[in-house]
Amino acid sequence: MTETNSGRNGRSGSFGDTVAMDLASGRAVDLAELYALDAVTEEERRAIEQYMSAAPAAERTEFFDRVRQARETLVRTFRVEEQPPADLFDRIVAQLPAQGGPDANTPAPPAPGQSAAGQFAPGQPVASQPASVQPGGGDELARARQRREERRRPGSTRRWLAGVAAAAAIALGGVGVGSYLADQNDPLNQVVRAGDLREASVDVAGGGTATLLISSSEDAAVVKMNGVPAPPAGKVYQMWLIPKDGSAPVSQGLMDEEALSKPAVVEGISSAAALGITVEPAGGSQSPTLPTVAAAPLGA
Amino acid sequence: MTLLESGSRTSRSSHGATAEDSRSGDLCLVVMETPNAPHSEAQAAVTDPPADLSQRLSVLLDRIGRGDQAAFAEFYQLTSRRVFGMARRVLIDPELSEDTTQEVFLQVWQNASKFDPKAGSPLSWLMTISHRRAVDRVRSSQSSTDREAKYGASTQNIDHDSVADQVGSRLEAEAVVRCLETLTETQQESVRLAYYGGLTYREVAERLNAAVPTIKSRIRDGLIRLKTCLGVS
Repeated sequence: MTETNSGRNGRSGSFGDTVAMDLASGRAVDLAELYALDAVTEEERRAIEQYMSAAPAAERTEFFDRVRQARETLVRTFRVEEQPPADLFDRIVAQLPAQGGPDANTPAPPAPGQSAAGQFAPGQPVASQPASVQPGGGDELARARQRREERRRPGSTRRWLAGVAAAAAIALGGVGVGSYLADQNDPLNQVVRAGDLREASVDVAGGGTATLLISSSEDAAVVKMNGVPAPPAGKVYQMWLIPKDGSAPVSQGLMDEEALSKPAVVEGISSAAALGITVEPAGGSQSPTLPTVAAAPLGA
Repeated sequence: MTLLESGSRTSRSSHGATAEDSRSGDLCLVVMETPNAPHSEAQAAVTDPPADLSQRLSVLLDRIGRGDQAAFAEFYQLTSRRVFGMARRVLIDPELSEDTTQEVFLQVWQNASKFDPKAGSPLSWLMTISHRRAVDRVRSSQSSTDREAKYGASTQNIDHDSVADQVGSRLEAEAVVRCLETLTETQQESVRLAYYGGLTYREVAERLNAAVPTIKSRIRDGLIRLKTCLGVS
C-alpha cells in the first residue's frame, strides 16, 4: 500500500482536507514536500511559514531539511532545457538596477544584440529604460511595478545619498534608492544650517579629500568630495556607515563620476562610529570591499 | 568634480585606476577585475559532474553578490536553458516564459549574496526561485482549467524530454529513470501535475478525481521515494 498516511516518522492518521487542519493536527512536517513543490496556495504557504517561525527548533529543522531534500530531488529529476531567445540576456542586463552595463571585462553575452553598454555607462545621465525592452501590453505596468518593488527590498535598499547620481541612478532605479531627498525640506540645508555643525576633512586614496559637515542634532552629515578622481571604469564609490556596535557596515549609497560633484547627506549617524568610502563594482556591493579609500570618524 | 573628464590622459590601465597620483595604488587594490570567462565554459553545463557545476555556480553567485557582471554572464550561460525550459513547460506561452526568466535572473542579481551554500545547492536555489515565479505567474494569468488543458496538450513532450534527452550525464539520466520507476504511476502523475502544471494539491485532486488527502499523500510519498532512491541527503 503506497498511499498510507503514516509518514516516515510514524505519525498515524490522515492528511486533512486543508493545510490548516494538517497544521492543527501536528502534521506540519509532512507538508514539507507539498511546500517544496509549490503545490500549496499563497495563503497556505504563508500559514505554513508562520507556523514554522513559531515552531520548536527540532520541528522547524526537520521541516526545512525535508524541504531542502525535496528541492534537490526535484532539480535532479525534472531537467527540461530550452534555449532562450538570443537577445534575452541583453534585455536582462538592460534592466539591472543601477548597473554600468557590461564593461570591458564582461564576456560577450550569449548573443550580443544591441549594446547596453553605450546606454548605461556610469556617469551618463540616462533618461529612461529603453521602452522597447519588452513587448508591451497591459502587463508592462505590472511588470514595472514589480521591478520597482524588487529594488526596494530590504538589504539592497538603504538610504540613498541626497543629490547624488541623481539623473543616472534614479532613472535606473538604482540600488538603494530609498528616500531620495527632494529639493523642498532639503536635509542638506537643514544640516548646513544646524547650530552644532562640525567640520572634518579626510584624504581620499587616489587623490582629493572628503569634507564632512557633521551635525549631531540633525543626526546627519553632509559629505562633499573635493578633487577626487572619478571611479575606475565600471566602478563606483560606495559610502558606508560603520556602526558603533561592531555590526556590519551599512551602505549609504553609491557615487558615480557625476555624483562626485554634488554634496550628499548621510543620515542616522548617531549609531555610527565612522563613515567609510570604498570602490565597488558598478551597482554597488552588499558589503564593503576593503581597504577603504577614505574613512572619517564621526565620534561625538 | 569630475577629474575623469579631463582624464583621457589618465591611464585606464589594467588595474582600472584612473588617478595619476601615486596613491592611486590604493584604488587598484580594491578593484577586482574579472578575467574574461572563456566561452567554452558555457558548454560545461551539460557535461560537468554535478559537484563541479555546483562548486562553479557557488563561486559565481558569490561574485555576483559583489556586483560582478562577468560572473553574472557566465552564470546565465550555465543555467538559462534550465530556467527557460522550466518556464516554458509551466507557462507554455513563450512571451510569459521570457518575462519570467528575466524576473528570475534579476532576482539572482539582487539576491545572490543571500545564497547560502549550507542551505542547498545553487541549482536548487535557482530552480526554486524559477519554479515559484513560474507558478505565481501561471496562477495569476490563467485559470486552472486553461492550465490543465494546456498541460494535457504538452504532457507527452514532458514525459519524453524531461528525463532522457536533456539530461547532462547518462548515469544521472539512468538513475532518474530508474528512480521514477520506483514510484507508482499515480504518484508520478501527481508530482508532475504539481510541478509542471503549477497545480495545487487541491487542483491535482480535482483533475484526477481523487480525494484531497490521498493526493497529498501521493505527492509526499512520491517525492520521499524519489529522494531515497536518488540518494539525496
